[in-house]
Amino acid sequence: MSDAEPILTIEDLAVSFPGPPGQRRTQAVDRVNLSIYPKQTLAVVGESGSGKSVSAMSILRLIPCPPGRIDSGRILWKPDPRSPADDLLRFTDKQMRSVRGNQIAMIFQEPMTSLNPVYTVGEQILEAVLLHQQVTRADAVVIAERALKDVGIADPAGRLKEYPHQLSGGMRQRVMIAMALACEPRLLLADEPTTALDVTIQAQILELLRKLQHNKNMSILLITHDLGVVAENADVVAVMYAGRVVEYADVQTLFTRPLHPYTRGLLRSMPVLGQNVDRLDTVMDGATIPDDFPAGYKVAAHIEDANPPDGYGGPNAYLYEVEPSHWVLCEADAAKRGMKTPPHVDVIRRAADAVAS
Amino acid sequence: MSSAAIPPEDTPPVAARPPHRPRRSYFAGLMYDTFGRTGAIVGLAWVGVIAFCAVFAPLLANSHPILMRTADGQLSSPLLRYLTPADVTLLAMVPVTVVLLLLRRVGAGKRILIFLATLAAVIILSVLFVRPPLTVVYDQYRQMDQRGEIAWAIYTPIPYSASDRLQDQPAKRLVAPSREHLLGTEDNRADVLSRMIHASRVALAVGFIATGIALIIGVILGGLMGYFSGIVDLLGMRLVEIFEAIPQLYLLLTFVAFFPRNLYIIMAIIGVTGWTGYTRFTRAEFLKLRQQDFVQAAKASGLPLWSILFRHMLPNGVAPVLVTASFGVASAILAEATLSFLGLGLVDEPSWGQMLNQAVGSSGGFTWWMAIFPGGAIFLTVFAYNLIGEALRDAIDPHTRKAPAA
Repeated sequence: MSDAEPILTIEDLAVSFPGPPGQRRTQAVDRVNLSIYPKQTLAVVGESGSGKSVSAMSILRLIPCPPGRIDSGRILWKPDPRSPADDLLRFTDKQMRSVRGNQIAMIFQEPMTSLNPVYTVGEQILEAVLLHQQVTRADAVVIAERALKDVGIADPAGRLKEYPHQLSGGMRQRVMIAMALACEPRLLLADEPTTALDVTIQAQILELLRKLQHNKNMSILLITHDLGVVAENADVVAVMYAGRVVEYADVQTLFTRPLHPYTRGLLRSMPVLGQNVDRLDTVMDGATIPDDFPAGYKVAAHIEDANPPDGYGGPNAYLYEVEPSHWVLCEADAAKRGMKTPPHVDVIRRAADAVAS
Repeated sequence: MSSAAIPPEDTPPVAARPPHRPRRSYFAGLMYDTFGRTGAIVGLAWVGVIAFCAVFAPLLANSHPILMRTADGQLSSPLLRYLTPADVTLLAMVPVTVVLLLLRRVGAGKRILIFLATLAAVIILSVLFVRPPLTVVYDQYRQMDQRGEIAWAIYTPIPYSASDRLQDQPAKRLVAPSREHLLGTEDNRADVLSRMIHASRVALAVGFIATGIALIIGVILGGLMGYFSGIVDLLGMRLVEIFEAIPQLYLLLTFVAFFPRNLYIIMAIIGVTGWTGYTRFTRAEFLKLRQQDFVQAAKASGLPLWSILFRHMLPNGVAPVLVTASFGVASAILAEATLSFLGLGLVDEPSWGQMLNQAVGSSGGFTWWMAIFPGGAIFLTVFAYNLIGEALRDAIDPHTRKAPAA
């Protein structure tokens, strides 16, 4: 990780939604800790319902409250290294609006529906630019054209006058990115930016994001469930499951030495090119609701190991730095006993090495 | 080959792209589809006729000559002198509207703004400076003509004002349609066609202003309810139910019984009791839209609430509201006609419902021309708005939609 201070730090964030009538609230995000450094790409991976989108939406305070509720935590935002960090959760609505789109921008999963169908592309970009920057309309048009050019759209002046339905999916996602980047944000939240696109366009968009990140000195929080995308684009990876971060490491470490059983299950379930298998390994539980995160996390169900180790989940588990810059969710007694590594880590590490070799 | 034919190196390859389909916004597409339907064209044509009559009423039916020359050589235009501030405002807005419609380069929003600004200015100026004579003697010029004091005069196509009781011609009571009075005369000798033309103003105004009031209340409340949902929605829906329980006609009857009859109060009551339908529709649309990605995207780009609600959500959800509104215009016209028919409408201004009431006159007999013509006008107008509403509904329904919106 970088020596500089993080631009954004999420501390112990917990978000809940009302459960079924008469039952307790569903903990969508539970004690999540993340930090993003300048110019870094942090990938958050996990299955549907693991809380990755809710975490990102919480940063911009886009969770509808009620019914949602932010139970605890701080989101420290520090765009300027010289000034102290601010807690976004304590911002007023007005302060929040000046952050949204201006300092932190977001792009969404569905380029098909993320643009307002009744306005031209130009009107939508201009509205955001005019809102956040003190420029004349003519200057804003220049900024919008440059933004479209930056994302590789030919004839930007002509495209500005077009309606979203006249653009293809990849083109719309480019427009979304142009819109998000027109105000030069410091952090881009990309919520599955390529899921709805086909593989060729996906590669182009990711390449584009990488290039823009480099040019514009911007950090990216990349939400995805595509491990291939993670391996190619991320610097640091956080794996989420059932509302919790279960493993948090740089991309190299995570792919070569996964420690948490869920991460290992996830990696095992990826098909390998050139390998014929009858059945792929699966992460058995599927979409688990966060409340069901078992105390003695059933590793067996996931990686189908013979000896399921305990202590990788449940209310007492917490992120521990089991080796430098490698955090794993495990139970507190491991730390209390003064152990650098939780129980069974060695077993798993040996298993992982076996897989790697 | 001349050098001009070779494009310079840095020209972007624009020409290589296939020609564009016409750039048409969602609204333009919707209007194109709606008014491409026969029903809507017929409806719009009739509303156009009514609107023409309403605006040009003083130039179509008037007892005062447009231009005349007295026997001693004085040239004057009594018609202009007797125009009321309302007449002047309506007539002055016609050229303004035409110019604005032709100014295609200026954006629609700006044009509406210019229109409203000029309208306000014209209203203020005409109220301040237009002072028609307080006492109007309608038979003044006919008398002068008979006495030979007028060399020549140009009259409007129907030379009778709506309130001209033909004091000089006592025999003209309840004359059946004839060449002189195309649609006959009333019990009090007024010309039916003239009164019908002038009554189109009331019909048009009631329809649009009452529905406008209802629309504004309904859309704002419905939008807030749908967007915030939760407790706001819960309380809002109870308010809607309270207002739905108020019988509009009886409230109107009670009101006109106790207070002076005033067209604006009638319009306000119809509007204030009629917004619940629009609220329900807007609420439903906004509930559907609030979780849409583009609304989330608008929120994420830091736009203020009013912009999210009324710039981004409303245009996407307004189509079903417009359908109800066009039916609403029809029902407002009907409500006013009902009130006037019951003899509780306006006293001095002509209205179709009030004329219909006279079909069975005080003298007992049934005068068919007093029933057919105003009744037909009410029927056709309500029918026209229903046709437009129907076409609009078909245009937004994907199953009956003719072509994609663009």
